[in-house]
Amino acid sequence: MITRPMIAAVLSTTAAVVSAAAGPLQVTSSILAESRAAAADGTTRITLVKPSQITPGDKVIFVLAYRNTGTQPLANVVLDNPLPRAIAYRSANPGSPAPDVSVDGKTFGSLGTLRVRSLDGSTRAASPNDVTSVRWRLASPLAAGSQGQFAFQAVVR
Amino acid sequence: MHARGAIRTLGAGRTLSAGRTLGAGHTLGAGRTLGAGHTLSAGRTFGASCTVRASCMVRASRALMAGTAAIVAVGFAATTASAQAQAPGPAGTAAGTTVSNTAQASYLVNGVQQSTTSNTTSFVVDRKVNLTVIANQPANTPVAIGQAGAVTTFRVTNNTNGTQDFLLSTSQTPVQGLFAGDNFDVSNIKVYVDSNNNGTYDIGVDTATYINELAADASVAVFIVADVPNQQTATLAGITLIAQVAAGGDAAAQGTPLAASVGLNDDAVVDVVFADNDSDGAGLDIANNGQGRAALGYEITTRNVSLSVAKTQLVVSDPVSGVLAPKAIPGAVVQYCLTVTNATLLTPANNVNLTDLIPANTTYQMGSIVIGVPGVNPICTVAGFIANDNGSPIVGTPFTGSYDAAAKRITATIPTLLGGTSVAASFRVTIN
Repeated sequence: MITRPMIAAVLSTTAAVVSAAAGPLQVTSSILAESRAAAADGTTRITLVKPSQITPGDKVIFVLAYRNTGTQPLANVVLDNPLPRAIAYRSANPGSPAPDVSVDGKTFGSLGTLRVRSLDGSTRAASPNDVTSVRWRLASPLAAGSQGQFAFQAVVR
Repeated sequence: MHARGAIRTLGAGRTLSAGRTLGAGHTLGAGRTLGAGHTLSAGRTFGASCTVRASCMVRASRALMAGTAAIVAVGFAATTASAQAQAPGPAGTAAGTTVSNTAQASYLVNGVQQSTTSNTTSFVVDRKVNLTVIANQPANTPVAIGQAGAVTTFRVTNNTNGTQDFLLSTSQTPVQGLFAGDNFDVSNIKVYVDSNNNGTYDIGVDTATYINELAADASVAVFIVADVPNQQTATLAGITLIAQVAAGGDAAAQGTPLAASVGLNDDAVVDVVFADNDSDGAGLDIANNGQGRAALGYEITTRNVSLSVAKTQLVVSDPVSGVLAPKAIPGAVVQYCLTVTNATLLTPANNVNLTDLIPANTTYQMGSIVIGVPGVNPICTVAGFIANDNGSPIVGTPFTGSYDAAAKRITATIPTLLGGTSVAASFRVTIN
């Protein structure tokens, strides 16, 4: 079952953590929570903080920060984040581009275009709870030294 | 999702493509890559330098060999039966579940495809403590004065995302607005758990005094068993069941009450977060205290009354002397007087039947039953009502009287005998 020989070949030489450190593209994943505080102008200011207690039903923010540490521009950058099973996707975080999502890990698109097959063979429109993976593609090459981040909101099931 | 059947080894340089399951007994050899969307069940062995791409929860019993990097198991598939079966209940993901996230990236450098993974960030799902306590019967328990072992039934549901013990206690503090007229306390209070889960209290079977290891989203019936005092003024006693969430995990012993974690989160530790409601809204329970309560009442519906009957006799007349100093000779008329008294103040006695047998050697005088307010001896009744011997209603009174010729028995029926009052009934016989 050889589907991605190139990736396998790259990774077969070294362990993942090492390759992440060695490659030009650094990706950092973090899980944050919203902290709401009343600002002086009467609005509510939302900041992202390291979460205190996290229990079912709580909203968490997944942040993927990426950075090109190399000297060459990187093309066709794709960031893929399969969701932990206990996490239910909700939406892109405000300020972050919306990801393509997938309910089967294979087909990606906007949520409205995806359908879920039920046990009886019928299909229904996918809901955020069905999302198993999110993915972003950078439309233009990532110049050397440049960086950015994506984020999405989710809840603990 | 395809399952890999027979035991096999995924050889070097192979990639297990998306949506595959690597079954038990498989070895993922060195240098293997497991793509996103795979499920690796417990007991799998990863060889040195394997990479599992993707994120997920690390499950127990994974055997990790030396030199392994970035090991995370994969488990999701929204469209399969197994995923739906594993979906958490309303209480949510079990406390202690480690949620790990790893992103992956692919890109081109000078036309060469490369990929990388991010760091793995993880946290432990904390314990969200919640419970529901409800009264599990439609109305108050009807009891009699002095009744022992009267039962009220409650139900405790564990809404915590983990298996918990529940400590049980009771209170007789009147719940404001709920038990108007609460005027007595029950005694000898015991609390038992419905061990055999039949919803009914079984003496000697349901003996556990705390709820042991109640799974998330599960519920169990709890009984309060108490004695009603022998106290005539008793009307209603409110009783409250209080359940306190305690630590689970020890099937042999009662856990200690949980306390909310204070201070900063430790991502590796299961914190305790109270998320229970104020279950009574009356100030006795408060939100987020790890307790729930519900109230029921013992309501007196049956009372004992102290009834007594006195019987006197009087020779009314004889065929020789008439009514002046009559003697009990054959042909003389004798009047018997039965007086029934309800000595229990405030409690009426219902359906009081006075019966008496006609003495031997005498003959009942038809139509002689008279029922009414007692008089002063020798007068039996004052302004009494003459009964119809067939027991039919009498105009002007609820009393009835009857004579059973076969059994030679008279009966006087008093529908309601108020507490502290007496009613008298008389009848006459002729000495044979």
